[in-house]
Amino acid sequence: MKFSRAMRALICLAASALAAAGLVACGGGSDSSGSRDLTFFVAIQPGGTIEKVSERCSEESNGKYTITPEFLPTDASQQREQLVRRLGAEDSSIDIVGMDVIWTGEFANAGWVEEWTGAQKKQVTEKVFANVIETASFEDKLYAAPFNTNTQLLWYRKDLVKKPPTTWDQMIEEAEGLKEAGSIQVQANRYEGYMVLVNALIESAGTEILSGPEEVDLEQKPTEKALEVIGKLANGGAAPPSLSTSDEDTARLGFEGGESAFMTNYTFAYASAQAEAPEIGKEMGFARFPRVEANEPSKPPLGGFNLAVSAFSENKDVAFEAAACLANDKSQKTAVELDGLPPSRSDLYTDKAVTKAYPGFAQLVKESIEASGPRPTTPAYQDVSLAVQRALHPPDKIDPEDTESIYEELKENVEDAVKREGLL
Amino acid sequence: MEANAPANPTPQKAAPKASSRTRSERKLGWMLCAPAVLAMLLVTAYPIVYAFILSLQNVDLRFPDENSFAGLSNYVTVLTSDLWWTDLFNTVFLMIVTVSIELVLGMAIALVMHRAIFGRGVVRTSVLIPYGIITVVAAFAWQFAFAPETGFVNNLIGGETDWFGERFTSFVVIILAEVWKTTPFMALLLLAGLVTIDGQLYEAARVDGASAWQRFTRITLPLMKPAILVALLFRTLDAFRVFDSIFIMTRGALDTESVSILGYNQLISRLNLGLGSAVSVLIFVCVFLIALLFVKGLGAKLEEGRPGG
Amino acid sequence: MERSGRDYALWTIAIALVVIFALIPVLWLISISLKPPEALTDQRFIPSEVSFDNYKSLFEGGIDDSPFIKPLINSIGIALITTAISIVLASFCAYAIARLEFPGKRLILAGALAIAMFPPISTVGPLFDMWRTLGLYDTWLGLIIPYLTFSLPLAIYVLVAFFREIPWELEQAAQVDGATPFQAFSKVIVPLAAPGVFTAAILVFIFCWNDFLFAISLTSSDASRTVPAALAFFTGESSFTAPTGSIAAAAVVVTVPIIVFVLIFQRRIVAGLTAGAVKG
Repeated sequence: MKFSRAMRALICLAASALAAAGLVACGGGSDSSGSRDLTFFVAIQPGGTIEKVSERCSEESNGKYTITPEFLPTDASQQREQLVRRLGAEDSSIDIVGMDVIWTGEFANAGWVEEWTGAQKKQVTEKVFANVIETASFEDKLYAAPFNTNTQLLWYRKDLVKKPPTTWDQMIEEAEGLKEAGSIQVQANRYEGYMVLVNALIESAGTEILSGPEEVDLEQKPTEKALEVIGKLANGGAAPPSLSTSDEDTARLGFEGGESAFMTNYTFAYASAQAEAPEIGKEMGFARFPRVEANEPSKPPLGGFNLAVSAFSENKDVAFEAAACLANDKSQKTAVELDGLPPSRSDLYTDKAVTKAYPGFAQLVKESIEASGPRPTTPAYQDVSLAVQRALHPPDKIDPEDTESIYEELKENVEDAVKREGLL
Repeated sequence: MEANAPANPTPQKAAPKASSRTRSERKLGWMLCAPAVLAMLLVTAYPIVYAFILSLQNVDLRFPDENSFAGLSNYVTVLTSDLWWTDLFNTVFLMIVTVSIELVLGMAIALVMHRAIFGRGVVRTSVLIPYGIITVVAAFAWQFAFAPETGFVNNLIGGETDWFGERFTSFVVIILAEVWKTTPFMALLLLAGLVTIDGQLYEAARVDGASAWQRFTRITLPLMKPAILVALLFRTLDAFRVFDSIFIMTRGALDTESVSILGYNQLISRLNLGLGSAVSVLIFVCVFLIALLFVKGLGAKLEEGRPGG
Repeated sequence: MERSGRDYALWTIAIALVVIFALIPVLWLISISLKPPEALTDQRFIPSEVSFDNYKSLFEGGIDDSPFIKPLINSIGIALITTAISIVLASFCAYAIARLEFPGKRLILAGALAIAMFPPISTVGPLFDMWRTLGLYDTWLGLIIPYLTFSLPLAIYVLVAFFREIPWELEQAAQVDGATPFQAFSKVIVPLAAPGVFTAAILVFIFCWNDFLFAISLTSSDASRTVPAALAFFTGESSFTAPTGSIAAAAVVVTVPIIVFVLIFQRRIVAGLTAGAVKG
């Protein structure tokens, strides 16, 4: 429901009677004193990255604009809920949006974010990983400036495992051999984190979930191999007791508690272990995300945030500039310093800030991002994710001996989802 | 006033006095109700009508150019989907189990709150605390307690059950959490009902030789009927719309999903406003049928003007 | 009446059972909030070491920057105002329905029920649009109004059920005995209405206190965000670490106003009868 400007003003006038009681406020627009007020809707980062970069960029603009962060809830799906509600209502109070990589297709197709072109496009994609640029694009157009990315490594206990395994099968066998202390921590609750795992396994097996915004791929043999891996993990001795409700937090807690020999998790896990469980942190080794096929390099998961300009912003020209500053190399260095977030610019990985945050594994992180397998880009992403979760959760429903029936179920679900049919 | 009124040429069916009093009673009635009615309609009239309209259309926020009229096809999609019926079964099952337990438990607790010979303030206040704890935090506390790796339950009772790894055990924890949280609601309403019963009735019955059980079933229960009915009605309606506990504990995994979670998935995750609104309307219809059952079947006559006694 | 030792013993057991049932999860929450982060998964009910860090972090930054103080003030203010208005409006309406004859009574009750039954999630989207247009977004009034709307049905039903049971003839009897209409009303009727009114007040207050959906959708800053919504913004040490300890601490702190409110009000629920109004 959109009221015309005039109607809005009239209503506002009527409501201003109540404003005297201080109970109501009429929506504001831009400051008429020359400096534009830009609001930056983004998830809160505990280390203070957002405040710092917003302040710095506002200063560097020399009075042209002031960036005010408006924080979104910590949980990714709640962030999306808040953003979608506003963008769906064509809210003009949003200027810059911090978009999770999986929202690009959705937001771009709905016409909620502006395309980046020309010199600015070049500026924000310079030296950025090709995969990351892909996550900010839809139908070959760039819709956001890459900010930070993220990937998962294999973390293992150096004191229990001499050499890190290269494939999932190897890892599962080793973990089972270690009995009590040998579980593998992953993320397999019924949420997006499980989709991350499933996607990484399918990509590492050599196929992909979607080959285009509306075309399902899921080649049978590789997909079944990936499903077999999950089935083996879930039904064997390597599964932690609460596998079906595990997420990034329980995974790192389980690893820090000492009962696991292996864990696939994001880069934060290292700093966390050093701080919370130093005896375990001492013995923490790192390696690349394991392979599904012995002779095919693995495709680790890819996450991260890109900065987009809202299509309903009243300060678009200035917003592009501000977003470009917020996403530049200085900002990315702040992000890795204060919050341990991997930069999206590949040339920063030899920088002191990065090697300090990732002691010994900065190159591994870079390599993992370069080789990563992003999740599918499609406007129907949420449907696809829900469909995959519905087909494959709980992980122990997958029988490693008979992966055909579960493959059929998965394929059918994803096909319906991409057409946005049926109830999910 | 009537004495000065001109005499009516034709006799009227109702005496003038009664009609004028009835009219002023009517006016007073409407005036007293008006603010409340206004407050209720102001907020909900537009959204509810809008939801009905949306349910008849194909509207997906992510594809703004593809809106079209859908007629009843959204409803057909929902009603022919296995998922809807599974979720409906889950919801009804949870509703019946939790409300029954809460009624019995709530009654017992209300009796303790009412008749305790000491510490009444303590009991009454501590009973209401569960109801006052923020719902999402309470659900989280229960989940944390039962999670095999972080909680104390498995430690306490032994065993290695993965409570959230199976449908049945998940339901057990969900039911525990729901009952714990909302029994106070029942207990409070039942207490208020208990408190209005005249103690002299019990005295008289005791003198006549009635046992405690007879006093309970013949005096207490019948006199508490209005309180019980309101408590049951609202608690049942709320139980049908259970969301937070399930969402936080299992996210609906293992077929523990409720119809509200289904609606949330369509409306918010998929932004399929047409389908999501259809689910909402169907939830409304189900709840409406339940309310109808209560009102007709259990004789909840709440609008009688003059109390029957 | 003689109270034997046995009576006391039985009642102690009964009371203990009830209190334990009510409080174990709360004690668990307190336990979580007192555990230092490393000990979070030690599976112990009673923490092996106690740390107040979680509580300290709630109040860090004083009134302006603490993630918690302003939301707490918002919660208390909005809940109190809503409860007061809701009870007044519902009392008028319930009095009319219970005591007077007028067409449309059934419709109002049915309508109120219908409103209470409709899934709130469908109403949030349109409400968001309406509020942004009217300038009510992110204000106290913007939350008070929907809370009123969704708490009135319950309040009305509770009050109707209780008002129906009041023997209104007592009011006339008191007047015959020489009391003024006002005295009759306040000395006879009001104490009888008290249980219902205070019960309804507690229920409305807790409803406002607990709401998450409207709080998170209709607010965007500390100006009006209430505690349940503010919890969604708590962070752990990294964006993947759940802020378990601080959320538990917040939940504990936030029950203190509830305890105070309930302690005051639960006495009033029974005050009426003990004043001997009925026996008079």
